[in-house]
Amino acid sequence: MTNRENASTLQQFDASTRAKRYRALSLSRILTITRNTLIELTRLKVFYVLLVFALLLIGSSIFMAQFSFQQEFQILKDVSLGAISIFTSLLAIVATARLLPQDMEDRIVYTILAKPVPRFDYVVGKIAGVLLLLAISTLVMGAAFLIVLYMREQAALHATMRQLSGAPPDQLADALRAVRSSAFDADLFPGIAIIYLKACLLAALTLFVSTFATSTIFTVVVMAFIYFIGHLQATAREYWLQEHGNALITRVFLAVVTLLFPDLQAFNLVDDIVAGTAISLAVFAKTAVLGIFYTTIYTLLAAFVFYGKEL
Amino acid sequence: MTNPAVAVHGLTKIFPVPFHRQSIVAVKDLNLRIDPGEVYGLLGPNGSGKSTTLKIILGLVSPTRGRTEIFGGDSRLVESREAVGFLPENPYFQKFLTGEETLHFFGRLCGLRGAALKNRVNELLRLVRLDRARNRRLGTYSKGMLQRIGLAQALIHDPRLVVLDEPTAGVDPAGSREIRDLILNLKERGITVLLSSHLLAQAQEICDRVGILADGVLVREGHLQELIAIENQTELVVADASDELVRDIESLLSRSNAKLIERRKSTTTLERLFLEATKNDEGTTKQK
Repeated sequence: MTNRENASTLQQFDASTRAKRYRALSLSRILTITRNTLIELTRLKVFYVLLVFALLLIGSSIFMAQFSFQQEFQILKDVSLGAISIFTSLLAIVATARLLPQDMEDRIVYTILAKPVPRFDYVVGKIAGVLLLLAISTLVMGAAFLIVLYMREQAALHATMRQLSGAPPDQLADALRAVRSSAFDADLFPGIAIIYLKACLLAALTLFVSTFATSTIFTVVVMAFIYFIGHLQATAREYWLQEHGNALITRVFLAVVTLLFPDLQAFNLVDDIVAGTAISLAVFAKTAVLGIFYTTIYTLLAAFVFYGKEL
Repeated sequence: MTNPAVAVHGLTKIFPVPFHRQSIVAVKDLNLRIDPGEVYGLLGPNGSGKSTTLKIILGLVSPTRGRTEIFGGDSRLVESREAVGFLPENPYFQKFLTGEETLHFFGRLCGLRGAALKNRVNELLRLVRLDRARNRRLGTYSKGMLQRIGLAQALIHDPRLVVLDEPTAGVDPAGSREIRDLILNLKERGITVLLSSHLLAQAQEICDRVGILADGVLVREGHLQELIAIENQTELVVADASDELVRDIESLLSRSNAKLIERRKSTTTLERLFLEATKNDEGTTKQK
């Protein structure tokens, strides 16, 4: 094609093909970045490795038939919910830590932000992509766990029916009810939801750290420290309050520490669920609001730091 | 009076060096004015401040002092980028996307949707001659093809100003020629082009005006022909001249005050020789 032919192709562009006027906050623009981020993340091998490990761990619970059914269900819930919690947390940190540094290293961020795309939309689109990935992972792992639990429940019900085939109907019904009540528990759903919110919080915090970190490794290391401190800080806080009383300065200091290192132990409802303790609506709502609050705050902080960043 | 496509006023950019007292002056008191429809070349060696200047104009880096404007608007404002398309040096796009998907992604970012986006993508793929490779993943594209898809994404929202950072860096002569032709097409359409390069021969072919940066300072600026003209010399290129005619011209010169500096056979350029030698039967240059 000659220059002149190319030029005539260009002249076909007219007002109908022009982009819409710029808007400061555009949901469709954010969704475009979210979709692209999700596709990018699902291409990562680490995503599949973590998912396969978690599913294997959950699946391996099938082979614990040597225990009584109560013990078996308890271990199954403990192992599976623990696996979902650890793997979603790991995925949140590993997937988010590379998002911004990789885009900067590859200069993709230049091509995106040189278009009429506000940095806020870019950051929100990126984190939304991670949250979507975490939602998919949590759903897959949660579904695998519930399927395994259902299979083990059915096996236990058949075994009970076989064992009590000659027993009176009332005794058989009581025994089956006991199996069902120790297998499925409605608190499992809020428990899994809180695990997801904890992963969202970690993702948002990782994004915030990555806005000023010098490398992906640095972000991951910092997040590993925050993860452990976050699980220990509730105990440390209680000890500090006992030692230093309830003075204003102490409470301000603790509030700052709590903002920097969120109380991750507060999101650990798994132990209660496994022990059979009911999760009240108030506890669930309080924990969920705390998770959403932290996720929002860290995302806004990340957007704020990224806004002033020299690219 | 129309607003300039790009205006740079007293621009200075200083990068602090962490844990050191000194800092790096990337650009120093730079003033530029680029009129609509011009092809302006920002030339200079590596580290002279070209890329920093472009990034400041695009709002990716904030100036230490001074200000930059695009068509009269503050270039730090996001809406000013509606008028700008940018191709960074050695662009890297997501390898898992095809050429078509890449343009769709950037088009959607600019607010294009539906049939308008589809038409636009088709036109741009034709323009940069990648319509046959539209469904191939970018991981399989050659360097030249990546530059061309990069140029297409820069044009997706029909910008009035296109900023190109080393557009032909690392591209073979054939690919380089194609990009140069595309830039000339943009000029024909009245699009302003601001490009940075250290490939002087190429800039000489396409730029109306150039500015030369050295250590962050604009050391020369002006219309290319004025800058490179040698005031007291004149070139005559004559075809089909007999030896006798050439001797007569030389004799005429020897009788005057003028001095013959050089007499040589006209030559083609190495680039033209390369392009002719690598053309295949269909008349197009071979590609990977």
